[in-house]
Amino acid sequence: RRVTGTVTSDEDGLPIPGATVLVKDTSVGAATDIDGKYSLTLPENGTVLVFSFIGMATQEIPVSGQSVIDVVLEFDASELSEVVVTAMGIERNKNELAYSAQQVQGDQVSRTRSADFVSTLSGKVAGLDIRSNNTMGGSTNVVIRGYSSISGNNQALFVIDGVPVSNANNSPSAVDFGNTASDINPDNIESINVLKGAAATALYGSRAANGVIMITTKKGKKNSMSIDINSGVIWSSMDKSTFVEYQKEYGAGYIQSFRASQDLGSGEAPVVRFQDDASYGPAFDPNLQVYHWDAIDPTSPNFGKTKPWVAAENDPSAYYETGLNSNQSITISGGGDETTFNLGYTRNDIKGNLPNSTIDKNMVNFSAAYNATEKLTVSASANYTRTEGIGRYGVGYNGTNPNQQFRQWWQTNVDVREQESAYFRNRQNETWNWNGANTGPIYSDNIYWSRYENYSNDARDNIYGYIMLNYELTDWMSVMGRATLNATTDMQEERLAVGSAGVPFYSRYNRDFKESNYDLMLNFDRDISEDLSFNGLLGGNIRREETSSIDASTNGGLVVPRLYSLSNTVNPMTPPVEGYSRRGVDGIYANANFGYREKLFLELSARQDKSTTLPEGDNTYFYPAAGLNYVLNDALKNVSWISAGKIRANYAEVGNDAAPLSVYDIYDKPTAFGSIPLFSLPSTKNNSNLKPERQKSYEAGLEMDFFNSLFGFDFTVYQTNTVDQILPVDITAATGYTRRYVNAGEVENRGFEVSAYVTPIQTNNFTWDMRLNFSRNRNEVISLYGEGDSKVENVPLASFQGGVSVNAAVGHPYGVIRGNDFVYTNGQRTVDENGYYMVGADPSTIIGDPNPDWLGGINNTFTYKGLSLAFLIDIRKGGDVWSLDRWYGDATGIYPETAGLNDKGNPSRLPVSEGGGMLLPGVKEDGTPNDIYAENQNGDGQTPLGYAANNYVGTPRSLYIYDGSYVKLRELVLSYSLPSSIFGSNSAIKKIDLELVGRNLWIIHKNMEYSDPEEGLGNGNSARGYQSGAYPAMRNYGFNVKLNF
Amino acid sequence: VPSETLFSNAVKNLTDALTSASVNSNNYRFYVQHWTATTYLDEPRYNMTSRIIPQNMWQSLYRDVLSDLKESKRLVMENTATIESVKNNQLAQIEIMEVYAWSVLLNTFGDVPYTQALDPENSLPVYDDAQTTYNAILVRLNDALSLINDTAAGYADGDLLYEGDMEKWVMFGNSLKLKLAMVIADVDAAQAKSLVEQAAPNVFTSNDDNAVLRYLSSQPNNNPVSNSVTGIYSTREDYVAANTLVDIMNDLEDPRRQQFFTQVDGEYVGGIYGYTNSYPDFSTVSAKVAAPDNEGLLLDYSEVSFLLAEALERGFAVGGTIEDHYNEAITASIEYWGGTSAEVDAYLGQSSVAYNSAAGDWKDKIGTQKWIALYNRGFDAWLEWRRLDAPTLLPPVEGLVVPLRLIYPVNEATLNGTNKNAASAAIGGDSSATPLWWNVN
Repeated sequence: RRVTGTVTSDEDGLPIPGATVLVKDTSVGAATDIDGKYSLTLPENGTVLVFSFIGMATQEIPVSGQSVIDVVLEFDASELSEVVVTAMGIERNKNELAYSAQQVQGDQVSRTRSADFVSTLSGKVAGLDIRSNNTMGGSTNVVIRGYSSISGNNQALFVIDGVPVSNANNSPSAVDFGNTASDINPDNIESINVLKGAAATALYGSRAANGVIMITTKKGKKNSMSIDINSGVIWSSMDKSTFVEYQKEYGAGYIQSFRASQDLGSGEAPVVRFQDDASYGPAFDPNLQVYHWDAIDPTSPNFGKTKPWVAAENDPSAYYETGLNSNQSITISGGGDETTFNLGYTRNDIKGNLPNSTIDKNMVNFSAAYNATEKLTVSASANYTRTEGIGRYGVGYNGTNPNQQFRQWWQTNVDVREQESAYFRNRQNETWNWNGANTGPIYSDNIYWSRYENYSNDARDNIYGYIMLNYELTDWMSVMGRATLNATTDMQEERLAVGSAGVPFYSRYNRDFKESNYDLMLNFDRDISEDLSFNGLLGGNIRREETSSIDASTNGGLVVPRLYSLSNTVNPMTPPVEGYSRRGVDGIYANANFGYREKLFLELSARQDKSTTLPEGDNTYFYPAAGLNYVLNDALKNVSWISAGKIRANYAEVGNDAAPLSVYDIYDKPTAFGSIPLFSLPSTKNNSNLKPERQKSYEAGLEMDFFNSLFGFDFTVYQTNTVDQILPVDITAATGYTRRYVNAGEVENRGFEVSAYVTPIQTNNFTWDMRLNFSRNRNEVISLYGEGDSKVENVPLASFQGGVSVNAAVGHPYGVIRGNDFVYTNGQRTVDENGYYMVGADPSTIIGDPNPDWLGGINNTFTYKGLSLAFLIDIRKGGDVWSLDRWYGDATGIYPETAGLNDKGNPSRLPVSEGGGMLLPGVKEDGTPNDIYAENQNGDGQTPLGYAANNYVGTPRSLYIYDGSYVKLRELVLSYSLPSSIFGSNSAIKKIDLELVGRNLWIIHKNMEYSDPEEGLGNGNSARGYQSGAYPAMRNYGFNVKLNF
Repeated sequence: VPSETLFSNAVKNLTDALTSASVNSNNYRFYVQHWTATTYLDEPRYNMTSRIIPQNMWQSLYRDVLSDLKESKRLVMENTATIESVKNNQLAQIEIMEVYAWSVLLNTFGDVPYTQALDPENSLPVYDDAQTTYNAILVRLNDALSLINDTAAGYADGDLLYEGDMEKWVMFGNSLKLKLAMVIADVDAAQAKSLVEQAAPNVFTSNDDNAVLRYLSSQPNNNPVSNSVTGIYSTREDYVAANTLVDIMNDLEDPRRQQFFTQVDGEYVGGIYGYTNSYPDFSTVSAKVAAPDNEGLLLDYSEVSFLLAEALERGFAVGGTIEDHYNEAITASIEYWGGTSAEVDAYLGQSSVAYNSAAGDWKDKIGTQKWIALYNRGFDAWLEWRRLDAPTLLPPVEGLVVPLRLIYPVNEATLNGTNKNAASAAIGGDSSATPLWWNVN
């Protein structure tokens, strides 16, 4: 008797090819064909059919005399039966893995339409520390399981369908041009798997030591045709809790007086101290008429006129505009009998929150596969992204960053709307910050002039793709050959217009990067016996990288205003800075997986690399990994509330080579002195004895599912030690160099991660799912270099303005912040005889640690029929930040703390003799409570807080250490899928989803006033723990419409 | 590469470091109260840490000057194609510049790494006793002078100071010897006397002999002052002339004021030292000083003449009379800045200037005039002020101390802490108020 039928998926209703249909308790079975159809002959004793497919819940259906049995398979909720993509693109059942791997679905990262999809991973994966800057399309740091390399790269590797793609940050100047991973099209992502530990990534070799973000793109399905259209618009506006609140009592000046009265057109009147970029000046008085900055501007209706002395109506928060991010994408996918393809195009237009800022992206993705013969499969992919930016944001202490003015050097009497009309009247630099002679800007330009005239523009072409052949030699062995390419071309232009503060210039930076990989891999999959399964691979990899760059700038100014070309230079140009480096790594690798009765799995892998960046003859290094995994399902079979479980452990080593050009010494070539050539020794001493650095890691974990997968968790503990690090360490200049490459140092990261899910409510129509991620990493610098007396205890990673530095210090977490501390008396902050804080003598006291105590994410999804509401709460506990913004801003009198009433009820900016002054919390040197009011305005610019405190020695730097903890409502998504019943079965439209999305809508809790604690300084190892000109956080909200044909 | 290119680079970097007016590295013009700031008072109030001033100075001298000089010396030694006498002259040129650079380090910080310095394999060099080291560089200077054969060539095109004129190098070396020997006159009078007397016959005899680097007008080879003051390379208005200097020069009706400063309503007005000053209300640096191609001075005839006058006051036999040397020094300075002989005569004719009638002891007379003559040469003015203690300079507010040295770079505490701490203890504390070993009177 024959039984036939079709197996379809519950998710998309499409047929499932290759599903297994077995007659229970027999060896009779069949597999579904390309249309999901099967047909089998039922034996005598056959009464029940078992339908199974990888990743889906197995179903048993009694035949009961039916001859046609159609089955809809449901995706298996059990995390443990998930199929995940592991290193080298190999699909594995999660059950078999001896390491932690956490997967995120594509729609999770595409729906909130961040300019950089990477930032949307924050809170979704345990152990992943994402720090995004609030700049438009700006830098994102992606660090997995803590910082392990003292001075090398700590960023995760990105791999798309087996193609390693660059996530470089090419921002040679103070402008944040972002990371190249932002070129990846989120609409094209099927899933993201985060491989965290060395065991998971060992096959990728050294570069994957920081973990891998493995992206699988969407592929077409055979004999189908599907068109997806996704259209979305997201608006963004400033979260005011992350911006400055301005005091509104005092205006321009470092001292409480105006410039001498002058007649600028309307009689003698006081003149504002335009040149003072501070707000410690005279108290506002609406009855007092004074000459403001616009009295100097001949185009202004207020030219030569006085105006009342009042606080600005529009403070700099009005400078931030509403941003707009529009995203339109279309994906066509499908296939025939032997082919599949996927073609997508996405257009993304971003208008930033600063005036004159845009990013336009065009992304084309194509992939196809062809079964040329039964045994040979050819597949290829080509992806192209072009990104064009105008007016990218400057970061840090720089004139291209308006927050340098707004947070540090500002006059509260300046109205930004008036600045705006002053610029647009004549497109001239009508600044609020005139020089002494009122002829031009002294420090700060008109804030609109700087955005519309001194903007940067950039373009990047990013290409990645592969060609792959797979040939099945036998039914248990196949050979795969693959060539991959990632190439980027960057062009960046920056300018400073004639008339700006500073020497006008035009500069141009071009960079080309190319990486190609060639892999040849033999794959084995053969069960050794009924009980013992085996699969493995043996492969070789050739990697070639090439980077070249040129950075040229005019010299001494521009001859013709508004003409931006290198030939428009006033003085002859100095030679451009050229860069060229190559790296080649050849690797061979092997991997073997043994499974015993689907219960016990052993994974072994090894790799040997040979790198051109290490000294010749000593550039080959080998590293192994091993993992063991035990599935508890059978052992726990009798515990009914446990549905699945496994326990795993692994050990892995990864070797790493040096950065290019760190082995042999070369001379620097400064610009010639006229016709006299100059050469110089470089400031970094290279090392011809470098050996590979090595990372050793242990990991153990337990994964459990309970109550039929209503609740489950994955718990992982790990320890990673990175030893023999290749460090360009700072050394005393007394050696003739300020840096030197050494092989030394050890950093330890240990911690645990939990990811858990729970479905508190599940009824036919309503489901509540929760997903929790928690990770805690402890980081310690175990050693640096040198022995005995010459042992080095500290390596500064960066020294920052304001007198603080970020360091690797032995016995401390990586990146500790050093600076002057308070002088403590009985644990209390001590003030001197004038009531100012005393400053500790040691400027290298550890005052902060930027590493978070823990990170967490809580994702809730409520589903009612087609309606679903999801929100993600993203939490960081701890992680210190030092604020240069407050260090300067408190000394320039911008912030409310610098004004207002003291506890006597008098304005604190009155002289102490008149009842004013500021009483700083603390004690006097004799230990008694402080009762000395410090002058808050002593007539020569000295202040109680910030850099001008204590006779310009400044306040103890530790006053400006903030706890960077936050709790953020990171995402809120309300989506509705129109019921399929409204489309007829012949309708072209198969599916319509509507989504309302919000991102960063609410900072539920933070401890840092006036700023977003997440904000850092661009990208890299020293980017955290320091804020200068921080951008405010932006709230994003909008909608998406998804159509499927 | 040719060793000459490293030598040229080192000479330029040394001149830059000493000439610069960047608040990040060179604030000596504040310390001697030639200039003061308009708005940002950290540096005129002697804060050395919020900008890493000592570190920048330290790096310039060790990494950008001494390291290249050492390398150029290595390349000279390796060179087999050059004849011995030329090589010796080149080595002497290098040595003289090395001694100059070491003297700046020693006279800035006190004890510094010397014997173990400039070796990247030893990242924790010990600090050597300053006086011992100073004596060692004096010996090296003598040796260098004895190497010179002034009939042979040395570095020529790449010699940014004298274009290969070895006779001038003999004068420069001897003038340097005179200057460095005088620094220790209060602690080691015997050695000072002997060296001064050896050097005196061969020192500069006119402004033509000055050790100057002729800057170009375009960056990065312009005079670094032009990067920091209002002009084509900067819009900043950070500096005005300090009242300390302007008031004294006004009293003396000094003819150099017009070359030193700008005028405000036809007068020279100095800003109050160490307090906020409104830029338009005060005299600032002259166009000559602000010019991108203004030359940088390492040692000049005026300075040498003052030293000869001082030598006679100290009883060293250098020939001439005190008054002649003193007058010569002032004349050389006024003429250097572009003054006329009539201005010289009028100036010297004043009783407040004339050596026999000017106020105070010889230190006051020479010290005050030298302090004026060393305008725009902050480091040397500071060195001479510390030595001669004249004129009297008061800190802007009570409790501050006019720096007697730079503190050690902050990052030395983390990079070479043990040795730095030992040195701090040895010199009597790592404070800007700790006098250097020769600063005893």
